[in-house]
Amino acid sequence: MKIRQIFISLLFALVAVSSFSMATEEAQSHHESNSEQSVEKKPYESKSVSQLAGSFLETTGLYAIFNTDDGETTSDPAGASKERPMGAFESSLGRVIMILIVFLLFYLAIAKGFEPLLLLPIAFGGLLANIPLAHMAGPEGMLGVIYNMGIANEFFPLLIFMGVGAMTDFGPLLANPKTALLGGAAQFGIFGSLVGAVMLGFDLQSASAISIIGGADGPTSIFIANRLAPDMLGAIAVAAYSYMALVPVIQPPIMRALTTKEERRIQMGVQRKVHKLEKLFFPIVVLMLSILILPESTPLIGAFAFGNFAKESAVIDRLSDTMQNSLINIVTIFLGLGVGSKLAADKFLVLESLGIMIIGLIAFSVGTAAGVLMAKVMNKFSKEPINPLIGAAGVSAVPMAARVVSKVGSEERPGNVLLMHAMGPNVAGVIGSAVAAGVLLSIFK
Amino acid sequence: MAEVNYIAEAFKFMVLGMGVVFLFLIVLVQLIKLQAKLINKYFPETTPKSSVTPVSSTSDDEQRTVAAIIAAVAEFRKNKS
Repeated sequence: MKIRQIFISLLFALVAVSSFSMATEEAQSHHESNSEQSVEKKPYESKSVSQLAGSFLETTGLYAIFNTDDGETTSDPAGASKERPMGAFESSLGRVIMILIVFLLFYLAIAKGFEPLLLLPIAFGGLLANIPLAHMAGPEGMLGVIYNMGIANEFFPLLIFMGVGAMTDFGPLLANPKTALLGGAAQFGIFGSLVGAVMLGFDLQSASAISIIGGADGPTSIFIANRLAPDMLGAIAVAAYSYMALVPVIQPPIMRALTTKEERRIQMGVQRKVHKLEKLFFPIVVLMLSILILPESTPLIGAFAFGNFAKESAVIDRLSDTMQNSLINIVTIFLGLGVGSKLAADKFLVLESLGIMIIGLIAFSVGTAAGVLMAKVMNKFSKEPINPLIGAAGVSAVPMAARVVSKVGSEERPGNVLLMHAMGPNVAGVIGSAVAAGVLLSIFK
Repeated sequence: MAEVNYIAEAFKFMVLGMGVVFLFLIVLVQLIKLQAKLINKYFPETTPKSSVTPVSSTSDDEQRTVAAIIAAVAEFRKNKS
């Protein structure tokens, strides 16, 4: 354990050093390209060695961090129109704080194993975005290019949804359809925290975008934030993904507080076998239903249904295999780095981010609680026993929430496997939060 | 226009949103049940076939082997992830 810690801290130090040297290099090349443009007008004048050294010093990252009034501008993927001169705090201490936050995220991802697939790329994107002078988050920087390519136009979240659809097995939901209602109850987190966000003084659109974090669905959050509150995208995406990653930490205390020991020990029967045709028709049924009721949500549900249909059709395994492996991996890399670009100090270190983090946490907790309470009620009225714990899986962090449920359940009664039972509400939660997203979009049409 | 009470608006959103989500899921649950009934009535599953279309008896064995392999791979993947 000790060796591991040392290794991790060594890694951090290495990253820190390389980030500084990278900053210097990038700054240099930036400086060069700038002077190239002006060379055409001004002939090169002879410079003394001390002048050269002095101008080089001005391009180092160290100088940029300590010199607060160097007229550096913020970078925004949308281009120069959205850029403004950086404040003293943003270009100095703010960067250092953000880099420290990034290191904390590295620690959580590597040592604690919190959703490393997302947290690590996001954190590294944040590190790159906070490099002084390099403008990596600008329209010509790597992060800005990625951002414009797929996040600003909502493309990546839909690709992720496609992959998730191709990975999801709806068998557990089809076997026990009424557990789908638990996935609906958990959406109470979204609408409950919407009220909370409005009370805190956010306007209705921003409040809607923030509260969707309660669905614990990263792609949906990004999709909605883009439509309703693009300025808050960074903080919302980071909050959504970090809470998804923190599912194993946030959910169990709430689950334990709301259930008795006896309830947690409830065993659920074996699920019936699901016909192959049922699985094949299911994505079409869901899509038809959303076409009829809520076309606003069809980009999300359509991509999801396509992925699932490709999987269940069993005739295009090559394609479905690509969707659930290579494609989703590639998109995850881009999505992580792109979202990370919004971790730049000038965008993230604002008071709103704190509000978003707090409301997101409340939204997420309320969603979990609502799911558990609903499951308790269902258990009272149902013929077959329902373990209230599976209600917590109604938030749509697939399959993390279901795994957490299974873990908590087996702590009370070893060998009590709730995983498949929890997958029902879990996948229903994905559909539920996509529907909730569609409702919010339809309000602000 | 009178001043809008945003908190009241937010509550209205909540009623609408939860209503639609539950409506959607309740209809979905009924459809799933109906579909299960219909499918099991018209295409009863006697053996764990992997294919939807009626298969000839000669390839049935092969089909079953394939189904078993697919199931095993799926289980393996599930455990791995």
